[in-house]
This record gives sequence, C-alpha cells and structure tokens, in this order.
Amino acid sequence: MGDGHNTNRGSGAASNKPEWLQHYDLIGKIGEGTYGLVFIAKIKSNRSKSIAIKKFKQSKDGDGVSPTAIREIMLLREISHENVVKLVNVHINHIDMSLYLAFDYAEHDLYEIIRHHRDKVNQAINPYTVKSILWQLLNGLNYLHSNWIMHRDLKPSNILVMGDGEEQGVVKIADFGLARIYQAPLKPLSENGVVVTIWYRAPELLLGSKHYTSAVDMWAVGCIFAELLTLKPLFQGQEVKATPNPFQLDQLDKIFKVLGHPTQEKWPTLVNLPHWQQDVQHIQGHKYDNPGLYSIVHLPPKSHAYDLLSKMLEYDPRKRISAAQALEHEYFRVEPLPGRNALVSTQPGDKVVNYPVRPVDTTTDFEGTAPLQPAQPASSGNAVTGGIPGQHVMPNRSLPRPMHMVGMQRMQPQGIAGYNIASQAGMGGAMNPGGIPMQRGVAQAHQQQQLRRKDPAMGMSGYPPQQKRRF
Amino acid sequence: MADFLTSTHRAKWIFPPQELKEKYKAANQRARQMLEKYGATRVEVDIDGSLSYPERQNEAKAEKHSRAKPLKTEEEHLIRAFYEFKIQDVCDAFKFPRKIQATALIYFKRFYLQWSVMEHHPKDIMLTCIYTACKAEENHVSAEELGKGIEQSHQMILNNEMIVLQSLGFDLIVYAPYRSLEGFVNDMEDYIRATDDQRQTLMALLETAKIEADKTMLTEAPLLFAPGQLALAALRRSNQVHGVLDFERYLRSILSRQQPVHTISELTTALNNIDSVVSKLATPTASDMKHIDRKLKSCRDPSSHDKSKKRKHRSKESPSQLHNMA
Repeated sequence: MGDGHNTNRGSGAASNKPEWLQHYDLIGKIGEGTYGLVFIAKIKSNRSKSIAIKKFKQSKDGDGVSPTAIREIMLLREISHENVVKLVNVHINHIDMSLYLAFDYAEHDLYEIIRHHRDKVNQAINPYTVKSILWQLLNGLNYLHSNWIMHRDLKPSNILVMGDGEEQGVVKIADFGLARIYQAPLKPLSENGVVVTIWYRAPELLLGSKHYTSAVDMWAVGCIFAELLTLKPLFQGQEVKATPNPFQLDQLDKIFKVLGHPTQEKWPTLVNLPHWQQDVQHIQGHKYDNPGLYSIVHLPPKSHAYDLLSKMLEYDPRKRISAAQALEHEYFRVEPLPGRNALVSTQPGDKVVNYPVRPVDTTTDFEGTAPLQPAQPASSGNAVTGGIPGQHVMPNRSLPRPMHMVGMQRMQPQGIAGYNIASQAGMGGAMNPGGIPMQRGVAQAHQQQQLRRKDPAMGMSGYPPQQKRRF
Repeated sequence: MADFLTSTHRAKWIFPPQELKEKYKAANQRARQMLEKYGATRVEVDIDGSLSYPERQNEAKAEKHSRAKPLKTEEEHLIRAFYEFKIQDVCDAFKFPRKIQATALIYFKRFYLQWSVMEHHPKDIMLTCIYTACKAEENHVSAEELGKGIEQSHQMILNNEMIVLQSLGFDLIVYAPYRSLEGFVNDMEDYIRATDDQRQTLMALLETAKIEADKTMLTEAPLLFAPGQLALAALRRSNQVHGVLDFERYLRSILSRQQPVHTISELTTALNNIDSVVSKLATPTASDMKHIDRKLKSCRDPSSHDKSKKRKHRSKESPSQLHNMA
C-alpha cells in the first residue's frame, strides 16, 4: 500500500520513539478509559494484521505500575483459548513509565453489534448469530472458570468479535482488568471495591455478598443473552454513585420487577446477605408479581432458549447454571446449530449484516498527549487506507485539522475538542453510561456516542470510568 | 493458572541443574567482563526505569581500578542467600502472608538468573520483588509504606519496578508449595481415615512441613522442582519427626490414583534430591557478608568517590528475551 513507512520519518517528535514502537504503524486511537488509551496499529512486518494496543498509565498516586495492568498481564500470560483475547506482547515506554499491551485486534464488539441492529438496521440479530455468540462466550468462560479465573466485568462492550480474516466471527472475551483467580483468596473478594458494571451485576453482589463465585459471570451472560435477543439491556438500573460500594436499590428493583421477588424458599442463603437484612423497608417492602421474563424477551416459555436464559438468571448463585452445564444445554443441540463464524450464517436465506468498523481518532499519538500530526482519514483495514495513500505520508504540520469523514460512517465529529467535551461531560458526574436512562432519542444520540467513547470498551475495554477502585 | 501444568512457571522457570549453573555463570561472566573493561559493574537504573551501563574509564583509571576483584559465583550465591533471608525478615515484619513471601523469593531468584548481584544490588532488588509480589498477590502496599517500614528509599523501589517486571518476562503467577501442602494433608486425612487424635497429629505434621517449606524456599530448589514435589519433600521430612504414616506407601497411593507421570522411584529420587539441596542451605554469617559486601562495593563502583567521569553509555534496551514473548 505504500503508506506507513514514511509516516513517522521526518516528524521531529516521532523520531525519539522507543525502539519497540518502530515495529508498529500507528493508525489511531480507538478507545479511552480511566486506565489509559487504546490504539489500533499495524505491524510493519505483517501489514495484514491489526493490533490493538492498550496503554496503561502509571498509577496516579505515584505508586508505579498500575495494579490493574499487573493483574491483566499476569492472568493473560497464563491463558490461551480461542475465545479469549490474545495478549501478543508487552512493551515498556520508559519516557512516561507506562506499559503497552498488544493484542490481536478485533473489529467488533457486542455493544456495537447490538447498537447497529437497534439503531441502524432496526432488526433483530439472527438466531444463528445469537446462538453462536452465546456458545462461544460460554466456551471461553468455561475455560476461564475451569482455570479458576472469574472475569467479574462481563458486559457487551467486553465481548469482542473478530472482523474479516481467518478468525472472522470468532468471539473473544476481553478486558481482564478486574479478573482474578479465586482459589484461596488472601482477602475477601469484596474488598477489591466495586465490581461489574451494575446492569450486569448479579443479585448476590447487589445484596452485599462478601464471598461470591464464578456464578456472577453467568448472571452477566444471562443479561447479555437477553440483550442479544431484544437489543435492549435487560435490567437498566440507575446507578447510585458513592464510595465505597453503595447499595444499588434501583438495580435490584429493576430485577425484581422482571423476575419477581426472591424468596427464602428459592434462595435459602438470601437472609444472610447484608443488604437484604439491613434494608428491609425498601427491598422487602413492595412486592412484585412475576410479570414473566418471557414476555420481555419475546420467547415462548417452553422454548429451549427461554429455559437456558432462566437458568442463567436464577437468583440463588448455587443453583445458577454453570458455563459447563450451559454448553450442554438442549438449546445448542437444536437448529440452528452454533458455528465458529458467528457473523456469517450457513443457513440458507440468512442475510449477512455488514457491521461498521470502529471509528478511529487519528489525531492522537501513542503517548496520547499531543496531536503530532494533522488529522487523517483512517480506517482499520477497509479501502480507505489503501485508497488515499498520499494522505498518510504527511509532513509534520503544527495545525491540527478537522477530521476527514471520508468513507467513515461511524466516525464521530471529533478532533481534540470533541474529546474534551466528552471528558467534561464525564467530569460533570454524568460520566456513567449506566446512569443515563437509555432514551435513544435523537437529541441524546450524539452525546451518548461521545460518552460511549469514554467507556473504555472499544477494542480492549475496561471498567466504566465512574468506578473508582481502591487497591 | 490455577493449573500448574499449563503455567509459565512450569514451562519456563524450572530448570535442569546444569542449566541453572550455566545461567549463574553467564551472569557472573558478563559482570566480570564489564569490570575488566570499564572498571565498574553497577548498572544504574534511572528514574524512568531505563538502564545506564558503566562506560569505559580512561586508561589510567582503568589501570588504577583494576585491583577491584569481581565476586566469584559462590560469593554471589552467598550474598543472594543473605538477602533471601532478609526477604523473609521483611515479610515477617510486615506480617505478610506466606504466599507473598514465597512469591517475592521466587521473583528474586528469577531475577538473578539474568543479572549478577554486581550489576543490580540485591538490597534494592529484594525490596522491589516484595513490592511487586504484593501487587501481584492483591495485597497492595504502597512503595512509600514499604520503604518507610524498613527505612529505605521508596523511589529506589519504584525505579526498579520495570526492570524487575521485564526480567521476569511478566510471568508473575508463581506456585509455592504451601497450597499443595494443605491439599496433601487433607488427602492424608482421608487416606488414613483419621481419628480425631490423628487429625491433631496431622495438623502438627502440616505446621512442621510449612517450616520445612519455608526453608526450601530459601534454596535453589524452587527453580529445579515442581511445587507439588517441594511440598511432598517437606511433608516427608516433617513425617520423619511426627511419624504419622508410612510415607512410601502414601506416595504409592498418590501415584496409583492418577495417571502417573512418574514412577515411584523417580518421585523418590526427586524428593531425595530436594532434601539434599535443602540440607545444604547456607546461612551466611555476618563476617562472610562483611567481606563479600566490601568486595561488592568496590567492583560495583570503584570510583564512587569520583562521580564526575562516570557512565553515560545509556541504553533503553532490556536485558534479554523480554521484547518477544509471543
């Protein structure tokens, strides 16, 4: 394609790049979170391959490498599974003592796939794709759980799906920043602060359980399954923001509305949970009839899909279905059978949906600080990159230009200013994507997309910024 | 992970004895050459974690300092041993759990497979290993707190963090024998269908075995044997004190219950070898240390009184492998 090798030469600021960085051609920024930034890059020696590079800043309190980075790296170094994101390399940038984690790049994630169906094509995800995604997600999770790893932060934006290429349509579980080994913990698990985005948070966590299990991940899978079916988050509670670990009444209320109140009969250890005991008035106060989960997810109560879903959304974590059991469920044994390429159905008549590629912000350099180069159109692997190679060989100019919108449907209006607005919106306390009621009105759409950019989810996601955690 | 069989620990950090020797020798050799060429061995770690190697002194100076003698590998061994005891002391002082202590010790051992103590002073590396172990084991203690507790600079702890992480190849999950100890003792309980009295004795057996395992962690054994074997050896030694069961029969029963990777004689040989390594655990005396420490000082930085003309041969390169983990 001819671009790339010239891009960084002659740019004064780029010439003192660390040696490892010179193996990559930076394409742009695809995500941002409290821990740092996510970039997309190509390996110079193998331009067909895209890499997502997650930059971890030094921990703010002047205490060296971020413990989140350490945790993510140490777990990822030990695991290897087709349905778990692959850590390809770890690099150190001495200039600011930051770590860069290089992963195989995945073009899609469930957040974007669901959003595309809901907002763009106005059509449900086809049953083959739903089943294949769910099966692969469970397959990856079963691997993690059998290696005694809990993910603890499963949500649509953390479930990636590979784009074009040999692994097209393969699901990858990403973001292990909150994951941990659960054998013989040194501290009660709850001491690590808030865990799991609240919409996907299991009831035992919401009720203050101190010792939770891998069943919390299965609850999240249940929520994600429902969301794949309906294109809407199943339980959209308003998050209470306070530290540490506030009681999320509204989230529980949303769950109870759909599933009915839990009872001691069905969940014997319920009475031991701190919030259940302490907050008698609120959570035990008003009772809901069971309006039926099936009417919300539009599934016949006798269907296999509904049976599996309700077993994932079992209140008592000890009765909740495990990943291994779920993989054996009848749902996966009937047509359409799940496949490796979740995006392209082998069913005759199923049409292939073309999901958009990730928006890329090309105005940020690898340090994520200064815009070194003027904005360029960019894409991750589509025709745009090859189409206008000249644009990539740019002299260093001091004036940032507005982003070209060539061929990029999903590019948000941006440039640095756009990001500032987004981050200020975040600082104002509205940062929580979960706190915004999901009104998908036109007026909100723009802001939401911006906020979404603050969600570290893209490519290699993290936890929502509102979750301040202490270690 | 939880599975030792597929771990980086098993795949990359357990060595045949000969290879271990060669690694120590290679690190020693490199430091010697540096001393010969440049008259100093200290590798400086800058505030950003990058390294500065000593640079060639002028001829006369090199001549003058040629009297600085490098440490022998045995002396390096002793000084490492001394600081490994220190790691236990520091961890005890902070009341860290055994697992953290063991993790720090393993990090320390792995680090010095690639570096000589003449290049990076073990006093600094020891603290960074403890600090990193705390992070990895989710028992985060700030560098400042750690430094304060032992009256050392926390900046030094932080400066060395990257070089330690890098030298460990970011393989941070390590397996200590303690969990295996508990597993085996639980298993023994079933195996001998323990009565309440016997259960008491088994608890005593476990406690003694933990102390044996502590000792084991101070030797090279964790770089040579799997943690399960270290645990069995510790239990066997403990059983010699408590006499709870016929240990060889117990070993046979373990092997008969799984697809045996080893024969009983292989396993017994391994346990004997562990015992032999542990029995040679050297406790460096103060006077040993005084002598070696003086030597270490002079070869790390013979010209420390003359700081003006030192090192500016900088390198941002990592010591080895680390850029290619894939």
